[in-house]
Amino acid sequence: MAQLNLVQAVNDALRSEMQLDDRLVILGEDVGVDGGVFRATEGLLKQFGPRRVLDTPLSEVGIVGSSIGMAAYGLHPVVEVQFSGFLPPAFDQIVSHAARIRWRSRGRYHLPLVVRAPYGGGIRSPEHHSESPEAFYAHVGGLKVVIPSTPADAKGLLIAAIRDPDPVIFLEPKHIYRAFRQEVPEGEYILPLGRAQIAQEGDDLSLFAWGAMTQIALAAAEELDQAGISAEVVDLRTISPLDAETIVASVRKTGRALIVHEAPRQGGVGAEVAALINDKALMSLQAPVLRVAGFDTIMPLLQLEDYYLPDAGRVVRAARRLMTY
Amino acid sequence: MAHLNLVQAVNQALLTEMARDERVLVLGEDVGLDGGVFRATEGLYEKFGPQRAIDTPLAEAGIVGTAIGMAVYGLRPVCELQFDGFMLPAFDQILSHASRLRGRSRGRFQVPLVIRAPYGGGIRALEHHSESPEQFYVHIPGLKVVIPATPADAKGLLISAIRDPDPVVFLEPKRLYRAFRQEVPEGDHAIPLGQARVARAGRDVTLIGWGAQVHTALQAAELLAAQEGISVEVLDLRTLSPLDLETISQSVEKTGRVVIAQEAPRSFGFSSELTALITERLFLHLEGPVVRVTGFDTAMPYFSLEQYYLPDVGRVARGVRQTLSA
Repeated sequence: MAQLNLVQAVNDALRSEMQLDDRLVILGEDVGVDGGVFRATEGLLKQFGPRRVLDTPLSEVGIVGSSIGMAAYGLHPVVEVQFSGFLPPAFDQIVSHAARIRWRSRGRYHLPLVVRAPYGGGIRSPEHHSESPEAFYAHVGGLKVVIPSTPADAKGLLIAAIRDPDPVIFLEPKHIYRAFRQEVPEGEYILPLGRAQIAQEGDDLSLFAWGAMTQIALAAAEELDQAGISAEVVDLRTISPLDAETIVASVRKTGRALIVHEAPRQGGVGAEVAALINDKALMSLQAPVLRVAGFDTIMPLLQLEDYYLPDAGRVVRAARRLMTY
Repeated sequence: MAHLNLVQAVNQALLTEMARDERVLVLGEDVGLDGGVFRATEGLYEKFGPQRAIDTPLAEAGIVGTAIGMAVYGLRPVCELQFDGFMLPAFDQILSHASRLRGRSRGRFQVPLVIRAPYGGGIRALEHHSESPEQFYVHIPGLKVVIPATPADAKGLLISAIRDPDPVVFLEPKRLYRAFRQEVPEGDHAIPLGQARVARAGRDVTLIGWGAQVHTALQAAELLAAQEGISVEVLDLRTLSPLDLETISQSVEKTGRVVIAQEAPRSFGFSSELTALITERLFLHLEGPVVRVTGFDTAMPYFSLEQYYLPDVGRVARGVRQTLSA
């Protein structure tokens, strides 16, 4: 097995699928000659040529719109949008068309389309480069939303997303693109969509996280462990459809739930996880479900993001509130 | 007072504000000569002229983008987008610019902009004409989201939205546009944003709705009172963001049981945020799980199929019974 970081694992997934399936094409800004703004598509133009790795104009609506047509007519396009803050210009194409063609055509057409975008904070960037927009896409029926938190998961989930018959929004936590390396299985490696992963077992409370926040939750769990509190960390991996079974089983075991996310709190994915726990496991709860989230402001610029993003300290403080409720 | 339906009340609010403040103008597709697809802007072009009732090309991103510039430089534009489903081409302008200019400029610029759109189902329309997209805008900091459920509220809330210094997404339940008439105060009638309304007082269950669902909720409450002796308190949220948590808390502390009626798809919708907030803040007052009665996680179906999609009196009443049996 190769030791890869997350962005290398994305590259490995793309290469491995492009070798197996010549319907797979990549398109986006600078994905070809340049190899992608974060190098996720490095070497693919050289290996597969300009008909399968397409440098597009700077027009997200055009990129996604073109790929919808490609997917409806038999190709398997994987779109790269350079930053998740640049997804909104394509929002209408995604919501009004990509998500609906199967339903609109009563199943005659379906769209095997993946829209990849680096997302989230942690790299001290300018505006529009640090957003966490997963809740917008999760609220759209007909879309799947997938967020990996490790190199191996990035490869396995991206391959599953590419093979999925329907559109998948695949958000990559850019904060941990190069944060660490991990053994990543070579060749075909598939992780099913729609299944959460218990990143660490525990008995006293459940921490739910995804993307870069999984690492924060694990760090908080370690701190809590030193204080004699056993936290279970559940990495959701797929935001839509949610793995209700794993979420509910964990809460039934621990009786306490804390959700950690980067996006603004109001209307975030944490709300749906809390509502799901209310529906299925309210009577198991020993304390209210708490959310540690970004704030209801725009993501601040540069180093101010340190005050915005949940860190292990905020998670530990909320966990202690739960334990003493 | 005049006896008006909801769309006439919207027209009254626009007329009142345009007469009071010459910075207020309307722009959108067919809002001028035609008077608006639902007649909300009827007569404004004749009264205020083509500089203040502006017919635009069919380009929602252009309408909202232009309005942002107008607002930043001192006008008070009120955009009309013809249907909820047509708001999406303007999503980037709304999210990346309208909601952020105050933050981006550290308060130097503000955007006193209202984006009006008819929303929701119930008129058996074709695709893109029946959506309930409120949650997209609720999740965007810097925006207010307002939804009236009566003619008098439509007038009072729209006037407040126009006077608000920041961008407001104002969604009008098109199913109610001509559903009933009500006494609407004439002239200056402003209802503050951010305040929910107790539409019906009750003891046993708190039933929360907004837009057209308020009326479904009221009918369900009446049915349950008459046939089963259940006393339902109906809250009309009126403003979804910022939310009036105080009125919700007062009601839930009294009843201990909550049902939420929402047209939009269930998952990751506004009722999820309400449920999360209520379980977080009012945990020890709850006698059972919060029940969500919602649309389904599919696109809004066409024509008569929508009656299987939209929460109706029967489904909402079942939700109330479910929370009482918990």
